[in-house]
Amino acid sequence: MFKSIKLAATAAFITAIFVVAANAQTTTGTVNMSATVSKFVEINSGGAVTLTGNSGGGVTTDGTLNNPLAVVVNLGEVGPSNTNSFVTANVPLKLRSNAAYVLSMVATVSSTGSTANKIIAADVGFGLGTITRTGVGVNAAGVDVNATSGDPTLAANGAVNVGTGRFEYVTTKPTSLGAFSASTTALNGAFIMNAVPRSNAFGLLVPAIFSVKPQFYENGTTTATATFTITAP
Amino acid sequence: MKTSTFRIPILFCVITLASLGNIFAQALDISSGGVPTITGASGGSVTGSSSVLNNLVVTINFGEISPSNTNGIVKVVVPIAVRSNQQYKVQATVTGSTNANAQALQRTDIGFGVNNFHSMGANARVCVNPHIFYSPFSNDPASNVTINVAGRATYPSTLNNAVATTTILSGPRLSNGTNARQTDDGYIFNAIFVITPQFYATGSTSATITFTISAGPSSSC
Repeated sequence: MFKSIKLAATAAFITAIFVVAANAQTTTGTVNMSATVSKFVEINSGGAVTLTGNSGGGVTTDGTLNNPLAVVVNLGEVGPSNTNSFVTANVPLKLRSNAAYVLSMVATVSSTGSTANKIIAADVGFGLGTITRTGVGVNAAGVDVNATSGDPTLAANGAVNVGTGRFEYVTTKPTSLGAFSASTTALNGAFIMNAVPRSNAFGLLVPAIFSVKPQFYENGTTTATATFTITAP
Repeated sequence: MKTSTFRIPILFCVITLASLGNIFAQALDISSGGVPTITGASGGSVTGSSSVLNNLVVTINFGEISPSNTNGIVKVVVPIAVRSNQQYKVQATVTGSTNANAQALQRTDIGFGVNNFHSMGANARVCVNPHIFYSPFSNDPASNVTINVAGRATYPSTLNNAVATTTILSGPRLSNGTNARQTDDGYIFNAIFVITPQFYATGSTSATITFTISAGPSSSC
């Protein structure tokens, strides 16, 4: 009998210890938290396309601010019947990032002509115009480096070749689609946005300018596609 | 064998069990108030016990909070249970990394509020004097997001308000029971943590908030 009592007492004691362990009170509790911010970049339309100097043609698919960039432009007639100096399409881009960025471009140009007088990539001027960092939430102190020559229609960016008579864009810096047959950096810079929500309306505005000098090109049609890519290396 | 041989362990057990009565008496206790939840996260998670009988140990991973998370806000609700046989106060203290880069996630970017104080059940003590959430914490920060002049999301209260030990709640006795951690012998409130995905500078951030319950200011029951 004494043995039974001893066992019961021992069991009660052990049970009590486990009860203490299970129901022990504490006066503190902790919440540990963590979060991650990865590099983020985006490119969107910066607004409507401006087409000038055209004869016929028009903006087939216009840009819509803050929507994905998917613009289609018909430059119209670029033979000598177009008496304007240039046909120019100004396509606004809007870039945003939380890290240093690189904007690159690759272009393809195809013409139906069969001679050296057809339109080639070097005949389509390209450059990035004045880049602006303005608006609430934009890192206004950031610096951007434009790798292009700017507006390709500027006098300094092209001239008639005295040997051939053909108007040519300069090649010392990227000034035409000929310089972008492979993906090439057009612009790079510091992070664009301060810590603001994605709903913030501002960003880096970049005018992408395309131009064609009307000339005695071989008759036919030409299609050019420029693809912009932004990365955060 | 002598009877005295058994008297000693039996007496020891009796004394131990008697003393357990004091241990069980609900002096001051904080525990899990139930399963925590997370919404609006991209790759985030929250872990914690669903049982009010377990300690409060919660781990929150807010996940990706750059603009690649297209949700408006990442919100975590952590239920916390409190019990006491006396007037009490709950304090919060934040520790953890800070970011030198002003564009990186700061403590001011993590909204922190408390609400939904409610009884656990039959053995919750009902007193005349109220339980009080302290300013500025009595809010759901997810419902009170504003944009400051710099364009950054802000909240009525954030982790930055609890960098020094700060009282967030106090009141009269919480529990009727004499046993520890019953499922119905105290009160539960929600601690709410939120982050608005923004163009933060890249990196990772971690912080810990410790809740402590102790004897509080005079508040008779």
